[in-house]
Amino acid sequence: MRALTQIRLLWWRKMLETIRQPVWVIGGLTTPLLYLLLFAPLLDRLAGSPAFPRGEILDVFLPGLLALLAFSSGMGAGWGVIAELQTGVVERLRVTPTSRFALLLGGVLRDVVVFLLPAVVVVAVAVPFGYHAHVAGLAGYLALLCLVTAATSAWSSALGLILRDIGGLAAVVTGLQLPLTLLSGVLLPLSLAPGWLRVLAHVDPLYYAVQASRALSDGVVDADRVGLGVLVTVVLTVAMLAWATRCYRRVAA
Amino acid sequence: MADVIEVHELRKSFPGVEAVRGLDLRVAAGELFGLLGPNGAGKTTTLRMLTTLLPIDAGRAVVAGADVARDPRAVRRRIGYVGQVGGADLPATGRENLLLQARLYGASRADAARRAEELVEALALGAFANRPASTYSGGQRRRLEIALGLTHRPTVLFLDEPTTGLDPQNRANLWEQLRALRAGGTTIVLTTHYLEEADALADRLAIVDTGRVVAEGSPRELKTQIAGDTVTLRPRGDAEPVRALLAPQPFVREARLHGDALRLTVPDGTDALPRLLDVLTGAGVELASLALVEPTLDDVFLRVTGRALRDAEAAGASADGAARAGVAA
Repeated sequence: MRALTQIRLLWWRKMLETIRQPVWVIGGLTTPLLYLLLFAPLLDRLAGSPAFPRGEILDVFLPGLLALLAFSSGMGAGWGVIAELQTGVVERLRVTPTSRFALLLGGVLRDVVVFLLPAVVVVAVAVPFGYHAHVAGLAGYLALLCLVTAATSAWSSALGLILRDIGGLAAVVTGLQLPLTLLSGVLLPLSLAPGWLRVLAHVDPLYYAVQASRALSDGVVDADRVGLGVLVTVVLTVAMLAWATRCYRRVAA
Repeated sequence: MADVIEVHELRKSFPGVEAVRGLDLRVAAGELFGLLGPNGAGKTTTLRMLTTLLPIDAGRAVVAGADVARDPRAVRRRIGYVGQVGGADLPATGRENLLLQARLYGASRADAARRAEELVEALALGAFANRPASTYSGGQRRRLEIALGLTHRPTVLFLDEPTTGLDPQNRANLWEQLRALRAGGTTIVLTTHYLEEADALADRLAIVDTGRVVAEGSPRELKTQIAGDTVTLRPRGDAEPVRALLAPQPFVREARLHGDALRLTVPDGTDALPRLLDVLTGAGVELASLALVEPTLDDVFLRVTGRALRDAEAAGASADGAARAGVAA
């Protein structure tokens, strides 16, 4: 119970910080909406192609777009952690009897909310444009994508704690962002890709979450996409949370 | 009084730097204790170990009755810590900072609100407590950070270079606040590289150099026992025979020539002066000038380390940088 209170208090601390900088809230919404309005129409001509065999562009595109949003919502966490290392906040909190997991989770859960709220808005906007929401499937893949945000946020936080330097963090995170995004097939499904690219995609953990999300969006629950996607994402989330908690325990200054 | 802090043979190394090498320390309950030394001497590393922020390589530290290595949680509940860079959450208001801190120590919502109010009062934060901490001046922020360190009424308050970067007025205010806290029974341990601060504030202090305590005592004890007073005299005529005359006297610890001046180190200047004048009159020496200078902690530092604190500062800077780098991943 004590740990839950700490998590709630630290989550609310980060939420207040976010709410007070409305630019971030708006920023979270504009990117997916711009993709929806300015990129999705490009795909209309592709209806009936191998990427969209049933011609339902948004049904394939939206889960990928939300996966991209989930990934990018967690990525910034490290920057915040470095700022709080520099102002001594991390150190001050580490001297209190607060659990290290709670210190991590405050920021991680904030990122999950910052993903989820715009995601729901984007879904609501997409429905009139022809997105066929399978309600249970939608809830399922949003939950899965919350884990993607949590894992990404923990990953970025851990890197921030280790590298302690904005330049180094930016080099690692943005260096990995593009290949991870492209290989996961968020914007266009990898069914369009040549064989070698499809094989390469299997090293990208985000790929499995995207595959699972597309299946769930269609209301399909299968082992090779949904089962595998959930498994990979859950394992990755647990691993990243454990690693980042360990970094909070050990950070030197 | 009982010891609140007992440190025995404490050690800490970072890759390439042995930051703390066998440090011993005792701090009694209710003391205002200073760790004085140049940057890179190991003060901050020591404080980080005592406050559970850094794992201890070797040795033993007991703080407020709990072993730091074995029971860091108990230590955390009993200590407050104000770090070098501060620790105020800048986007939040001062009051939000205090409320969160109190709740993290387990206070109920009502108790936290009451305690925050007390601290706002005690550290005079009222005028700006509801503004984001990012808008505070240096002195205001320091006061908030000290309030954060005091939230749970700790047995021991650790402060790492608390007055660095403050203007003289704010520094004087902070000294007053620390003295008031000590008067209220809180044990205070602070690090500083300002001699005048250690001298003015500390009941007792330890001089730390290259990871060890090289001298420990009250500022007065250190000055009289280690450095001694300095008598500078300028005889009319040749100074060397005067040096030869005075050097063997029982009240003179050391006699050195500096140009035409003779500098004597004496354990107690007020006692030595009349005896000195007797000897000089007896030998028919006339003086052009005579001055008695009380020692400073810089003299103490010079004597125990062989160099002036300011020179040590320059040499220590690189070791300090190394001590600050990296996570032990």
